[in-house]
Amino acid sequence: MDISKAPNPRKLELCRKYFFAGFAFLPFVWAINVCWFFTEAFHKPPYSEQSQIKRYVIYSAVGTLFWLIVLTAWIIIFQTNRTAWGATADYMSFIIPLGSA
Amino acid sequence: MAAVNLQASCSSGLASEDDANVGSQIGEAERLERPPRRQQPRNNYGSSNQDQPDAAILAVPNVVMREPGGPRSSRLPGGGGGSAEMEEEQGLKYGAQHVIKLFVPVSLCMLVVVATINSISFYNSTDVYLLYTPFHEQSPEPSVKFWSALANSLILMSVVVVMTFLLIVLYKKRCYRIIHGWLILSSFMLLFIFTYLYLEELLRAYNIPMDYPTALLIMWNFGVVGMMSIHWQGPLRLQQGYLIFVAALMALVFIKYLPEWTAWAVLAAISIWDLIAVLSPRGPLRILVETAQERNEQIFPALIYSSTVVYALVNTVTPQQSQATASSSPSSSNSTTTTRATQNSLASPEAAATSGSRTGNSHPRQNQRDDGSVLATEGMPLVTFKSNLRGNAEAAGFTQEWSANLSERVARRQIEVQSTQSGNAQRSNEYRTVTAPDQNHPDGQEERGIKLGLGDFIFYSVLVGKASSYGDWTTTIACFVAILIGLCLTLLLLAIWRKALPALPISITFGLIFCFATSAVVKPFMEDLSAKQVFI
Repeated sequence: MDISKAPNPRKLELCRKYFFAGFAFLPFVWAINVCWFFTEAFHKPPYSEQSQIKRYVIYSAVGTLFWLIVLTAWIIIFQTNRTAWGATADYMSFIIPLGSA
Repeated sequence: MAAVNLQASCSSGLASEDDANVGSQIGEAERLERPPRRQQPRNNYGSSNQDQPDAAILAVPNVVMREPGGPRSSRLPGGGGGSAEMEEEQGLKYGAQHVIKLFVPVSLCMLVVVATINSISFYNSTDVYLLYTPFHEQSPEPSVKFWSALANSLILMSVVVVMTFLLIVLYKKRCYRIIHGWLILSSFMLLFIFTYLYLEELLRAYNIPMDYPTALLIMWNFGVVGMMSIHWQGPLRLQQGYLIFVAALMALVFIKYLPEWTAWAVLAAISIWDLIAVLSPRGPLRILVETAQERNEQIFPALIYSSTVVYALVNTVTPQQSQATASSSPSSSNSTTTTRATQNSLASPEAAATSGSRTGNSHPRQNQRDDGSVLATEGMPLVTFKSNLRGNAEAAGFTQEWSANLSERVARRQIEVQSTQSGNAQRSNEYRTVTAPDQNHPDGQEERGIKLGLGDFIFYSVLVGKASSYGDWTTTIACFVAILIGLCLTLLLLAIWRKALPALPISITFGLIFCFATSAVVKPFMEDLSAKQVFI
């Protein structure tokens, strides 16, 4: 949908819903919230709901950053220590690469 | 072209507001004497939050393009030649733009399928077969292969036909809840289960290790965002991207699970079916469209790819019908699980429910920004939902995802019913506007987009994917060009005839001709030339 044509309360409502949806382990939803409402929140002339939208966008950005750091750290730890952990790592692995001789 | 017309027609379709549009109709002036709204569940699919639940999900593999413009032009008051000509010009002017707008998503879908076929060998091999194709073409004799391909495709087509009729019946009986639930279930399964399998094969092909927590997080995010953008509201590009990806997944499933000759036979058969179902007066898809128009409701927001957003939300005064969301008919994705029995064991035939009707019907009187040409896809009838259940039982040996697939597939085919039906002459003008207060939106036309059913995406991609699985790039590119040419021609015909047209036949015919001609004639010729170092 095209939010540039939506009425302001609707936009706020949407931004809010996306923000709260992101709490269910959904950093992607937060990222989309940031991208989608970024221009609305920061580049448009002010309107009554804009401050709230701005708030949600900032919180979503913070949440996305947090998840990004956590996920990156976990992936790095897992990939480097996968072979060292042995059986535990295998148990946790979705795909175990085939080795080369 | 179509866009212009569609708008007009759409508006006519919308006139009968009452349909279940939830929000819309505030101020709907005209009310058709429809049965009380309560019968229709109010669900909002995809972007169109005002979408009426579409009663009929047509599993139509083809895209029907409806050009509502026809009646509209005739209705123009005192229009005479002048206005009609102007409309034509405008139609053609926007038509070319819309053709281009469709090229990109169709090409992207094909690109994803071709890239996957060439890099992940999983999709190239057919070791497990669908329940719908009992003849596995394992004998080396061509005659045996030929009749088994024919038999398989007949089985699949009959499933499709049965499903379509079931869908029509359900639609006529207004069992909207069933249809919607089934659409949601289909898209759910497609987004989660099939994507999971795809991810697994992708990682395996590239030998990339991954742990369960990360994989689950990725899948969860991808799936939930997909459901949200398709069935609820989300950015347009995201919705389009998801629809393309889902269509590509379905095409991959078809390529994998159909034996060689059966795949070609099915393509040909489905084109013929599309032609019959959309154009013949007793064709199920046409019945569906007409019923939807009579009731002034939208066809299910099934899988219809729309290039523009329908401004469902624009109208603050009167909530629009979901139309706007037509663009992303995510809902369509759900509905169309192709139950095509053909290929997969997935029992569910593809229900290419066309959720698409969004475009047309959506606004009964709202301004709809409807997209110009609406291509209705022939979807599989709702029957797929039932068949899905059946399939689950039958496909005992298959994983559930297969069953889910079927429903997905059925959902995929959708029919986009564009209401070509012309409402009152007056209404059509009103419908053009986007904003309620201002009935005539001067810019209405530029907001028109174009819609194409997901079933069409799927079959185009199946054709190109199969061609590329033989390993020859010349054939692949020839098929690709042929399909695009077919699409252009179909859109041109849409502009001329201004009525619902199936989008599959012309493209698939060209594609098949080019594919076989290239591999049989052009390829050996080119090889010989290269070998002899003759450059032309």
